[in-house]
Amino acid sequence: MGKYFLRRSAAAVLTILLIATITFFMMHSIPGGPFTRERPVPDSIMERLNEKYHLDDPIFIQYLDYMKGLVTGDLGPSFSIIGKDVIELIGGGFPTSAKIGLMATILIIIVGIPFGIISALKQNKPIDYIVMFMATLGVTVPSFVIATLIIYVFAGLLGWIPTFGLENPLGYIGPVIALSGYSLSFVTRLTRSSMLEVLRQDYIRTARANGIKEVVVMAKHAVRNALIPVVTYVGPMVAAILTGSFVIERIFALPGMGGYFVESITNRDYTTIMGITVFYAAFYIIMILLVDVAYAFIDPRIRFEKGAK
Amino acid sequence: MSDIDKNKFKFVTEKEKEFEEFRPSLTYWQDAWRRLKKNKMSMVGLVGIVLIILFAILGPYFTSMSYSDQINDFKNLSPILQIYEVGPDTYVTLTADYSLIRVDKKGRLIERLKEFELNESVITDESRTDFTKVLSPTEQKKKNDEAKKTLVKAYTYGEDLIYLDYSGVVNKDLDYKYVFTYKGVVTNEKYKTVWNKKYPFGSDNLGRDVLTRVMYGARISLIVAFAASLVNFVIGVTYGAISGYEGGRVDNIMMRIVDIINSVPLVLIIILMMVLIRTQNGLWRIIMAIGLVYWVGMARLVRGQILALKEQEFVLAATALGVSRKNIIARHLVPNAMGPIIISMTMMIPSAVFTEAFMSFIGLGVSAPMASWGTLANNALSGILSSPYQLFFPAAAIAITMLAFNFLGDGLRDALDPRLRKG
Repeated sequence: MGKYFLRRSAAAVLTILLIATITFFMMHSIPGGPFTRERPVPDSIMERLNEKYHLDDPIFIQYLDYMKGLVTGDLGPSFSIIGKDVIELIGGGFPTSAKIGLMATILIIIVGIPFGIISALKQNKPIDYIVMFMATLGVTVPSFVIATLIIYVFAGLLGWIPTFGLENPLGYIGPVIALSGYSLSFVTRLTRSSMLEVLRQDYIRTARANGIKEVVVMAKHAVRNALIPVVTYVGPMVAAILTGSFVIERIFALPGMGGYFVESITNRDYTTIMGITVFYAAFYIIMILLVDVAYAFIDPRIRFEKGAK
Repeated sequence: MSDIDKNKFKFVTEKEKEFEEFRPSLTYWQDAWRRLKKNKMSMVGLVGIVLIILFAILGPYFTSMSYSDQINDFKNLSPILQIYEVGPDTYVTLTADYSLIRVDKKGRLIERLKEFELNESVITDESRTDFTKVLSPTEQKKKNDEAKKTLVKAYTYGEDLIYLDYSGVVNKDLDYKYVFTYKGVVTNEKYKTVWNKKYPFGSDNLGRDVLTRVMYGARISLIVAFAASLVNFVIGVTYGAISGYEGGRVDNIMMRIVDIINSVPLVLIIILMMVLIRTQNGLWRIIMAIGLVYWVGMARLVRGQILALKEQEFVLAATALGVSRKNIIARHLVPNAMGPIIISMTMMIPSAVFTEAFMSFIGLGVSAPMASWGTLANNALSGILSSPYQLFFPAAAIAITMLAFNFLGDGLRDALDPRLRKG
């Protein structure tokens, strides 16, 4: 088990470094530097700028510098937001994104899973149809539409929640619902189909035949097994929810990381693009790693199989 | 042999002959089609897809306007018009930004009325009785002069002015919302509500027809989705087939690359790709970006299929006959894995529509004046409170497309790959 974890961690670190390398060279192959403006900057100023940010060094030296910084947690200064380091930008935006992402994740788990289970237990009954209808709607309507509808109905027509910002705690409602919409529906559908699959298994029949109470059969035998595929989905989902929040952050005017990312792309702010990409990728990879480890704990079959390798 | 009695044999009767007949054997695709036809939801999806495609291809021929025609007079008009009869045979409709448009009795748009600058002297001019008549109820309830001034507008119509008092919109105590005064006649009741005949889906903030734009948007969105799926198909199938067929070290390296790509959120790579690909043509850019990223899933799927197929006898036979490796992959392996590939393609299309809408929404999609459904939704965002219909139609188009392809995809999965059939 420990060996498996070590091996996976090493692979994860390697992947992150590789992604940083690829992003670095991708960014530097883009024509036009970060200081290219519509009105040309005088050559002397350009030289000074390039010197200040070490853009006149050979690309390989720049690469080594960047990697050195990356290992020590220094992602360099932002090119377009003067006087800010990329790590400061991430530090400033990430808490907001993370807070909303975390709330959305909690909402998804405490609403999606129970509804999926109920839907499976009441298969082909009205409640199942209602839940499935909502879930289908949730996967087909884009998050930005959900977000705008929330603003239109609850902020505009009814005036219950603020249109933007998070000063008022009610301001969280809109972004969290919009952000969780797709995944919530997906988790509900996934839980339902996985539960239906499990209910058909022999061990459920055996448990019932042994006279175990239905509640216990469901809680101990059915739900636990049905949740295995859901766990796989939830891990990467947490990371995906954070990346998916660009649009939501824009609509609700939230000071999160997504806003910086989109802005940095239009500004060709190399260091910020690289910094945020590497940060997201690292976050994503770590989440997947955690899920795999959690998986090995939940399901002994996997532990055995992987350990034997 | 000769000791078997001939009488023990007898001819089959006509009836028995019929019994012996088998139903005609169906090919894989005929069988799949038969099963697909039985699935109601997937047929609904299929019909939906055909309708959407027809809407995109033929639709623009039936509208009188092009997607970039701007009529400034008729901007921000809703699909449903409220008509007021302000005078004998004089009908007007009100837009979201409180300007008046003259219409005929049936609600056909005629012209936008010019706004008349109301200044202090007009407002306080006692001789203009027609105006104070409107103002007086407001005056009693609102003591603030400034507030009352901003809530009245005047429009020139012929020689005269039409006054609009819309204090009721802000002041909930008033029992009316809009009051029109024309030649001393006060109207505050709606004449009738009609469909907007010129703009069935309304018009946008530049006076462009939303219906036409949704049709052209369908073209862009569907072209992006189909082309990206095609790119995804070519790369994914080639990559997966080579990886699966070669096996060993080649397979190992190729799959590690896929693992690495897969360990980064795909939207992130697409955004980076959009920055990297520097063609002027925004359409190509987004097709390439989506196509070059989404093949990973396809490659894994094809590899899995090929791994299972390549151990079968027909591959051995082909190898023994000296068929080249390229032909074994292209003629023998890939066609046999076509079922799952098609299912994956069907599921790929809606997700491409979704991704494209997402990219266009954050401003990285096709460039103006081209517009996809995502761009339309994005443009509608600024005016969402006054003209929500501008968002509703493109959003509905996205949702319907997603639904149709998902239904068809589910049906295809059941029809082509019975092993994957859900409970």
